[in-house]
Amino acid sequence: MQRRGSWCGETHIQKATFFLQDLLGVDAGFDFILYRHGPFSFDLRDELSSMQADGLLELAVKREGYGPTYVPTQFSEMFLERFPKTTARYMKQIRFIADELGDKGVAELERLATAFFIAHRERIASVALRAQRLVELKPHISLPDARFACQQVDSLIERARPFSPREE
Amino acid sequence: MELASRAFEVITKPANVTDEVKGLLPDLGNADALPYWKHVLRMAALCHDIGHLPFSHAAEEELLPKGWTHERLSRLLIESEEMREIWDNMVPPLKPKHIVKLALGARKAKDLQFSRWETILSEIIVGDAFGVDRVDYLLRDSHHTGVAYGKFDHYRLIDELRILPSFEGSTEPSLGINGGGIYSAEALALARYFMFSQVYYHPIRLIYDHHLRDFLTAWLSKGTLLPEGTFPIDIEGHLRTTDDEVNAALRIAASDPEYPGHISARCIMRHCHFKRLYERDPQDAKLNSEPGAAIAMAAKREFGANAVRYSKPKVKNVAIDFPVCGPDGRVQPAISASETLSKLQPTAMEFVFIDPELKAKAKSWLDRNREKILAAAGEQEDEEHETQPKSSNTHVVEPRNAEKG
Repeated sequence: MQRRGSWCGETHIQKATFFLQDLLGVDAGFDFILYRHGPFSFDLRDELSSMQADGLLELAVKREGYGPTYVPTQFSEMFLERFPKTTARYMKQIRFIADELGDKGVAELERLATAFFIAHRERIASVALRAQRLVELKPHISLPDARFACQQVDSLIERARPFSPREE
Repeated sequence: MELASRAFEVITKPANVTDEVKGLLPDLGNADALPYWKHVLRMAALCHDIGHLPFSHAAEEELLPKGWTHERLSRLLIESEEMREIWDNMVPPLKPKHIVKLALGARKAKDLQFSRWETILSEIIVGDAFGVDRVDYLLRDSHHTGVAYGKFDHYRLIDELRILPSFEGSTEPSLGINGGGIYSAEALALARYFMFSQVYYHPIRLIYDHHLRDFLTAWLSKGTLLPEGTFPIDIEGHLRTTDDEVNAALRIAASDPEYPGHISARCIMRHCHFKRLYERDPQDAKLNSEPGAAIAMAAKREFGANAVRYSKPKVKNVAIDFPVCGPDGRVQPAISASETLSKLQPTAMEFVFIDPELKAKAKSWLDRNREKILAAAGEQEDEEHETQPKSSNTHVVEPRNAEKG
C-alpha cells in the first residue's frame, strides 16, 4: 500500500482489508461493521496492536498535525520470509487492492467502502437506491458523490473478478 | 455512574461545544433531549458489568456456551421484562435498546446500528481512550490491591473532555480532549500500562486464573451445579451463581480428594500454584511467532499436559486514536500532541507454567532444549499456517484472557 502512495493510517488499512476480505474473498477472519468512516473491524484494530507488540509494525508521525502511519519494521521482512507459501497464495489479491486503493484518501475510502458494504452486505441492486442508503448512513456525503461512489464500486467489482479465489 | 454523569455534563456544556461540532452532531442542540440521554447514559454505566460471571473474566470463554459472553448476559438482563418495567417507570421512560447500545458499545453490540451521537455516548463508557469504565477500574483496582500505579488525575481528565472532529477537517465527531488535559491523558495511559504489566498480567495472577478455570471446569462438568457443564445463561440461573457459591465449593474441594477439581482447588487455597518456567523473550519471537506456545507444547510432551499451563494474555492497545484541541483551536492527533503517548508501545506477553514439583527438572530440560524447540517450531510455521482453517486470523490467534470490560 505504501509503495502505491497510501498514507497507511489505520483507516486506510481497515478499508483495504475490508475490500480484500469481502471483495476478493481472502478470509482473514475479521468481523466488519459500519462504524468509524464506514466498515470497521475491532478485531483488526486488536490485530494491529498485536503486530506492534510483536515488533512487526510501528506507528510513525509523517507530518505534524496529521494522523499516524503504520510502518513495517525490519523484522517484518524476516517474518514474511518465514511464510513463503502463505505470502505467495495471496500476493495477487494484495497487489490488486494496493493498486486500486493505494492513492485514495480517507474521505474517498469511506465513500467507496460504505458503498461496497451496502452493495455486498445489504444486497441492494439499484445504484439509485444504494446511493440513497449511503446518504442515509453518511449524511455528510452528497447524493451525486454517493451515486458516483456506487458506480465506482460496480466497476471495481467487475475488475476484481479475475483476482477472486472463487473465480480461479 | 458518577463519572459518566460528569463526562456528560462537560461535553454537552454549551461553552465547550463549537459551532463546527454542533453542525456535525445536531443532537447537541436539542436541549429537550439531553436530560433523556443523560439518564440513559447513567443507567448504561450502572448496568455495564451486570452480566459478569463469578470472578469476572477468569473463565468466561471456556465456561459459557458458544456465542455467549458477559456482554450478551448484560444485554439479556437490560432487555428483560423485570428491567423493562423499571425503564418504563422512569421519567421520561427509557428505551432498553438505547441503554444496551451505550452500555455495550459498537464492538459488543454488532447487530445494532449506532448514530454518531450514540457512538460518542457509548465511548464515554467503553471508549478505548477515555471510557469511564476504564477510569473506574484502574482507580478501584489500584486502591484495592494497594498499588499506586493506577492513580491519575481523573477529575482534570474529565474536565478537559470535548467532542471534536476526528481530525482537522473531518466530518466524523469523536471524543477528544482539550490541550490542557493531555498530561492527564498521558497519566491515564501510563496507569493502564503499569496496571496491566504489574497487576492484571502479573504471572502469578495469570496462573491463578488457570487454576480457577480448571477448578470451575471440573466443578461444573461433574454436574455439581449444572448438568450441561457451563455457567447458566438464563437470568435466574445467572443471578443465582455468585462468587460466594464458587468460594464455598473451593473450600470443600480443597480438603476433599474425591471432590471434582480437588487438585486445582488445593493449588488456590494452599497457595501452591504452578511456577513460571518460561517468559516470552522478544529475541525468541524472531524464530517463532509464539515461542511460549512452542515451549508449552514441547513441555506437555515431556512432562504431561496436567503439569503444564500456557498463558498468552491479550495484547492491550495504547489508545492514541483521539483528537486534541490546541490553544489555537487546531485539532491534531494525540500522537502528534504528546511525545509520551507516541513512545508507548503495546507489549506481547507469554508465560509457560510448570507443576512446582517438577520445576527444577523442567528448568534444566528447558536450558538444554530451548533453542532446538524454537528452531523446529519456526520451520513448521508456514506449513501449519497453510493447513489452518481460514476463518482464523492470518497472523497470531490469541486466546482471550482476563480482558477488562
